[in-house]
Amino acid sequence: MIVAEHLEGRVAPSTLELIAAGRELADASGGEARILVLGHAVEELARHLSGYMVNVLLADHPALAQYTGDGYVQAVRGVVESMHPRIILVAHTAQGYDFAPALAGALDLPLVTNCLALQLAGNRLVALRRILNEKVQAEVEVRSDRPIVVTLRPGSTKPQGTGRGMMSVTAVPLSIDPSALRVTFVRMERPEVQDIDLSGADIIVSAGRGIQKKENLALIEEFAKAIGGVVGASRPLTDMDWLPKSRQVGQSGKTVRPKLYVACGISGAMQHVAGMKDANLIVAINTDPTAPIFEIAHIGFVADVLKLLPATLKELKS
Amino acid sequence: MPLNIVVCLKQIPNPDLQFQIAADGKDIRRDALNYKLNGADEYALEEAVRLKETHGGRVVALTLGPKRAEQMLREALAKGADEAARVTYDDPAAFDVGKNARLLAAAVRTLPHDLVLTGVQSDDYGNSATGGLMAGLLKLPHASVVTRVAFAGGRLEVACELEGGLQRVVALPTPALLSIQFGANTPRYAPLPAIMKASRQPIKEIGPAALGLTGWDALAVPYSFGIRGLSPPGAKGGAEMITGSVEEQAKRFATMLREKGFVRR
Repeated sequence: MIVAEHLEGRVAPSTLELIAAGRELADASGGEARILVLGHAVEELARHLSGYMVNVLLADHPALAQYTGDGYVQAVRGVVESMHPRIILVAHTAQGYDFAPALAGALDLPLVTNCLALQLAGNRLVALRRILNEKVQAEVEVRSDRPIVVTLRPGSTKPQGTGRGMMSVTAVPLSIDPSALRVTFVRMERPEVQDIDLSGADIIVSAGRGIQKKENLALIEEFAKAIGGVVGASRPLTDMDWLPKSRQVGQSGKTVRPKLYVACGISGAMQHVAGMKDANLIVAINTDPTAPIFEIAHIGFVADVLKLLPATLKELKS
Repeated sequence: MPLNIVVCLKQIPNPDLQFQIAADGKDIRRDALNYKLNGADEYALEEAVRLKETHGGRVVALTLGPKRAEQMLREALAKGADEAARVTYDDPAAFDVGKNARLLAAAVRTLPHDLVLTGVQSDDYGNSATGGLMAGLLKLPHASVVTRVAFAGGRLEVACELEGGLQRVVALPTPALLSIQFGANTPRYAPLPAIMKASRQPIKEIGPAALGLTGWDALAVPYSFGIRGLSPPGAKGGAEMITGSVEEQAKRFATMLREKGFVRR
């Protein structure tokens, strides 16, 4: 059973990846993948999802109009108890890792999170994960006769394409007790007006912790200017207020697709890579030869960015 | 209204290090690692101490792990925690987040708690699961990826970070559990006298008996968990590496930028 994620009438891109992964798991194990849409007045969205070669379960209730962990757990509890899915598949997004572990805790179910690939054989799930700053791959195994809650890292599976026709949409009965819901939605806050819109830039030079000091941003600025680019950053730098939040590239910041992306002293944590992996050309500079950024980069320099950039600027001027 | 706060902290190997896989392939080699307080947990600790300073109450720093984690707990005491407790489950790897969360939840039940805080994820295993699991197990309302906490009239109002810079603001009653995001505040440095004082403070040890267990393996979980193997990530694709001295690398870089048309001349 796949749990769809949607916000303000739009399906999250990760949900289409879940459908592909869920269908593959179901095919390999002789089962069926179904997707559960929780919300209120989301029939249209449910119908839309039924075009992706998967049957849809629709759980509609006014208390689900906005996501809350509480509401989702209560709604899914009933569905799990009546359908006994083998796997409950959720995206490893901010909403997904709010919901999935709480569901596993509340229903006393096994849980594996942030997976890259899954294999199911009988009551045994084998999941591929990355640990220790992406430097080690771990194959973990969970055996259980209870439904296993799994979160899948966004970007690890190709999204499902649409099929020829529409599959079914079936309403599932819900018994939600609104008085038992403790978390209430207050409002959505949107990012402030941006100083530079990174998402439209052709060339981005991004700095990470490897630049060591705020003063060294001047070097990054100078290099970006020399190649007609703008300066971006990884999360630690915007957290330290070295650069405004609007410059942050990554899952919780901007997703960018420039022609050239130069990653300066950025290790390549998943949170950052999610926002820049689709750049046309990625050049990575890092002192650590095992840094995961080199896996997704096209060109890599094992070098101190504080030495390589001045030397390259000199070359460019000569 | 004063708040009894339990902040869950994890000691992790410094993630900037390089790691080697142990001979049995089931863990990393741990003989030459240095350990530190998990990044997001620093912010959870700071948030706990600030809430206590504003509203009164107490902060208990709680961890699960081997004796070496006491050093981290002393750091927490020096930064403003009032008490420290360690669940003495001493598996050095502790890969099973479900077991860790169940033991921590059992420990939290033995402590007064209006608010339980965790970091949003640990930088070693990256599960982002301990907080949510504990909330489910303890039947506490919860919110994750929290960047801002306000407490008034017995209710919490918190901002939760979503993708793309959106924030979802939610309200919840206490007792509650929050997982705190990186950058939620500016963690303080411990003053020297506090470090001295913390080095003498007792650290409570919570063994299996205190959690109603006959041993660590007696914990009931609805599954069996195992590590099949660890390996270096396969070099899928991977970058073309430009080697040589910095001057040689710079020449190649400049040539490439010119050839691809990113700089004129």
